[in-house]
Amino acid sequence: MENMPASWKLLLMLVLTASCGRVHAETLDPSPKPPASAPALSANMRKVAVLQSQNSTQNVQLLNPLNLSLECSLTADHDKLPNISAFWSQDGREIPDSRLSATLEDQQYHVRRLFYIAGEEMLGRYSCVFENGVRADFILATPPFGEVRDKPVVSYGGDFVVLPCKMEEAKPKPLSWRWFRGNKTHKEQISEQPQRFQIHSEERKSKLKVINLTHEDAGVYYCGAVYAIGTTMNPVELKVITYQEPLKPFIGILIEVVLLVAVIFLCEKRRSKKNTSKGNEENPDQNNINLQEEEKGAEEGSSTRQRRV
Amino acid sequence: MLPLGLARDDKPTGMTNSKQKAEGQSDGGEDRPDGGWGWVLVVAMFVSMSLVFGLMRSLGIFFLEFVQYFEESAQAISWISSIGLAAQQFFSPLGAALCNAYNARVVVMTGGFLAGLGLILASQATCLVHLYLTMGLISGLGWGLIFTPMVATVIANFTHRRTLALGLGFSSIGLSSFAFNPLFQLLVETYAWRGALLILGGLSLNIVPCGALIRPQPRPKAPQKDSKSKLSCSDVLRRFSSYLELSLLLERPYITYTLAVSLFNVGYFVPYFHLVAHSRQAGFSQYQAAFVVSAAGATDICGRVASGWFSDLGHFRLIHLLSLWTLLVGLFIMLLPVSSLTGSYAALVVISLLYGFCSGALTSLVFVVVPKIVGVQRTMGALGLLQLIESSAGLLGTPLSGFLKDITGNYVASFLVAGSFLLLGSLTLATLPHFFSCTEPPPPVADKSEAFHPELEQMSGLSPDVNDQTDEPER
Repeated sequence: MENMPASWKLLLMLVLTASCGRVHAETLDPSPKPPASAPALSANMRKVAVLQSQNSTQNVQLLNPLNLSLECSLTADHDKLPNISAFWSQDGREIPDSRLSATLEDQQYHVRRLFYIAGEEMLGRYSCVFENGVRADFILATPPFGEVRDKPVVSYGGDFVVLPCKMEEAKPKPLSWRWFRGNKTHKEQISEQPQRFQIHSEERKSKLKVINLTHEDAGVYYCGAVYAIGTTMNPVELKVITYQEPLKPFIGILIEVVLLVAVIFLCEKRRSKKNTSKGNEENPDQNNINLQEEEKGAEEGSSTRQRRV
Repeated sequence: MLPLGLARDDKPTGMTNSKQKAEGQSDGGEDRPDGGWGWVLVVAMFVSMSLVFGLMRSLGIFFLEFVQYFEESAQAISWISSIGLAAQQFFSPLGAALCNAYNARVVVMTGGFLAGLGLILASQATCLVHLYLTMGLISGLGWGLIFTPMVATVIANFTHRRTLALGLGFSSIGLSSFAFNPLFQLLVETYAWRGALLILGGLSLNIVPCGALIRPQPRPKAPQKDSKSKLSCSDVLRRFSSYLELSLLLERPYITYTLAVSLFNVGYFVPYFHLVAHSRQAGFSQYQAAFVVSAAGATDICGRVASGWFSDLGHFRLIHLLSLWTLLVGLFIMLLPVSSLTGSYAALVVISLLYGFCSGALTSLVFVVVPKIVGVQRTMGALGLLQLIESSAGLLGTPLSGFLKDITGNYVASFLVAGSFLLLGSLTLATLPHFFSCTEPPPPVADKSEAFHPELEQMSGLSPDVNDQTDEPER
């Protein structure tokens, strides 16, 4: 093969792929070729679902635009019909002209289709549906975030907050990071403004620092991991509260502490008064010392007292 | 009340002066040992111990929050709790000395105030150094002023139920770490770390009423009352060293005991730090590993109370029981890697449960033995020094075990070494004088420095350290 000139090699390759493609098309797919302009006829990735009587679902992680060949093999049941019809659907809607008839080969019906996934709008749920109702779902998506934080991040007005975002080691690295604000339908990208937002991104991590918080800053923020084919969003909720919120329980606890100390000292004073009134005058200093001690001690946490004579 | 026919020195020599004063002024403030107010003090100890050590143990919840907010490394953040712990240990003798000089009540109330203040100030921190100073230094100082006086007070207020009282008091640490973890998590989620620290500061202020419960004893005149208007340098030094009980450092029994406890400390904390990682490495899941640690924590609490109750029954000498528990703990620590290497989860759980029980049992006894060695009067200072010295040994243990793990690749060597330190400490205990006698030796004779510590002596009232087993007048 090495002695062939380059042009001959190319011709041979073309012939081979063309013949393969035609074979596939003849046996399985009498309908016309896939609509989007496919740069090459061979698939970059191939996903297969083997079905018997139950539906199956597969997650397919995509990073770049590519040709994806999806294949479903249904095991024949006892009927063993020679042909069974099937169609492909995208996000629940049947793809036009995708209905075809699969023939029985080796106890299985095979259905295969080549998709060219160009961009984010082509991601979604692709399904092959057989006429007996059995289906296989392929969920095409960018790599998802592992841990989604369900509790909101809380911070105080006037303070700043750092919203973190991380893509784990096991997942592929994003090309870049973007931050958005809004709701599910409409998101606005956040650009860096020195006094309000600071974005610091590393390979697998990104941090959005929101400075000088106000109540309007509360809401849902989305951190987006950008891949060639699309962006994965991770929502983070931000809540902004005022200092008065923790102050209320704190004051409550302070009052409780002061009350306890006062009660303890009062009880002690009363008990020592009772005792000295029962006893005789042999302890006048004792009384004075006690009272003085309690007076001083009633001040919460003062410095160490002076020694008294 | 003690029957009169006992052949014992109720009044150690050199104490007659202050003793008479004590008897003259004793009245409603004077408690019978093991009496009602003692149990109130146990409750105070329960609350304050949980707010000091239980809180310290649960501060890890703030770790992630600090790393995110201050954008510092994990190591820089972990210095906060290291500084706090080191301050607590370092200032323990100071707390003891202040109690000897002044009053346990004031010291504990001040300590509670400082602990709360540190956390409240920490809630306003804008940089990491602020946290080091407030959460670390100020709160640590406060914690140091609380532990020794509280423990010494409870010891002085009990004679026959001493170990049980201490066991109950210390059981709070385990219970509160169970309760504080979810509580702190909730506080952080609701109020962010600033609000959570503010509320924790408020909670820590609850130690102040606990300190208020300590009844101050009326103070007799100190011997060198201001006959001379200014104190000479040597006088100050002498008083200072007596408040700190530095003379204890020259006594062989105390040194031996401190050495033994330090050896315990080297090995004691290793399972706390490494058990989870070791279980994960042996192939168990995160939940299984966490369950093992929780189970050990639960039996720890039971062990504290059970050993306290059992020791007070008086069938064995406390020092013998302590040796027994430390032997068992050392043994079980050594067995821990064996049980997990065989792959049996049940064996790991059983050994961990036994380890937890024995280590809790050990904790109750460690401090109770101190008055047996140095006498109740000097317990305050002795505890302070002991806390300082044993904790420095504890700092050695975990890096050593981590180092061994880095060299060998697994935790087997770390656990074996930790267990052997405990066994070594147990053997050191055997070198204490009168170790092999079946009855308690006579309590140490008090010397003239007793006059500086009238408070403890009065709290223990008319019964100095007793021979628990030989005569039981009131049971």
